[in-house]
Amino acid sequence: MRTFRKWCRTFHRELGFLAVGLTLVYAISGIAINHAHHWDANYERTVERFTIEAPGTGPTAEIEPVVLERLAIEGPIKSTWRAGEDEFQVFMEGGGFDVNLATGEVVRHGFRKRPLFYDVNFMHLNSGKAPWTGIADVYGGMLIVMALTGIFLVRGRKGLSGRGGVLMALGFLLPIVFAVISRGGG
Amino acid sequence: MRFVSALLVSFFVLLIAGAVLAGDGEKVYGEGVSAPDTMLVSELMANPDEFVGKTVRVKGTAVGVCEHRGCWINIASDTEGETVRVKVQDGVIVFPAEIMGDMVVAEGVWTANELTMEQTKKVCAAQAKEEGKEFDEKEVSSCMTMYQISGTGAVVASK
Repeated sequence: MRTFRKWCRTFHRELGFLAVGLTLVYAISGIAINHAHHWDANYERTVERFTIEAPGTGPTAEIEPVVLERLAIEGPIKSTWRAGEDEFQVFMEGGGFDVNLATGEVVRHGFRKRPLFYDVNFMHLNSGKAPWTGIADVYGGMLIVMALTGIFLVRGRKGLSGRGGVLMALGFLLPIVFAVISRGGG
Repeated sequence: MRFVSALLVSFFVLLIAGAVLAGDGEKVYGEGVSAPDTMLVSELMANPDEFVGKTVRVKGTAVGVCEHRGCWINIASDTEGETVRVKVQDGVIVFPAEIMGDMVVAEGVWTANELTMEQTKKVCAAQAKEEGKEFDEKEVSSCMTMYQISGTGAVVASK
């Protein structure tokens, strides 16, 4: 049993240090993504409104160069789209323009990746797939090993047979009760 | 015990190397695309009921993307003003904002959802709000059928 505890301590300690960075990635993005309906966790967005001389609602081939000239765009354009009779969109890196062809009203949209949050969310949601799938699987395995080895680290009243056991039972109880209630509620 | 530490560190270094070497690469979302033919969005929208339940592949500029979860994109049709929505499962595929304006090939099952009158009014109200127009629910007289691609994959194609 002494050797077993020694191995548990070693694995728990070494894996624990390795897992700090990844745990922060998943914990920070977990909170950010949980509140995606309150804020845009990935991008900072800007909206700016101004007016240009109305280009008119003629054929797209004629209207497009007029719109682009009146917008005086700096930087490369990705594409344009005639979204409707009086709606014209211009797409660029990091944003674009919505132009009302009849009134000349323009809405400029901009977006910028949120530092840190964009990257941790990208990893958490596994948007890049492989190779992150492998890393996330290994991390999941590490958490399992840490959880199981952690049970045997302390002996006595503070260990599994005492307070530790009660706390562990509470940790199991929370998700079980939640699962029962959510299933009951449909 | 030093052996255990060395083993774990080596394993992690290998994982990091794998991540670096894999890099960004091709921009493939979900399962990518595998259907043999790309069809015109206008063809799909002209006879929508004909394709319900079938796997379809379309190509066009991404002109709209879900701002909250990246769970849908709107693809421009070859007909002006017409778009088709590609809806994906939340979290399974996440379309980034940067995809706007890019040429996208997307694939999935063409679906039709019959809306109730109440749902139709909500959709019309949301569309009117988006377009900055006034909405009068008395103008809604019939239920709407919403067609969309239940997306399984997409690829950002070269222009």
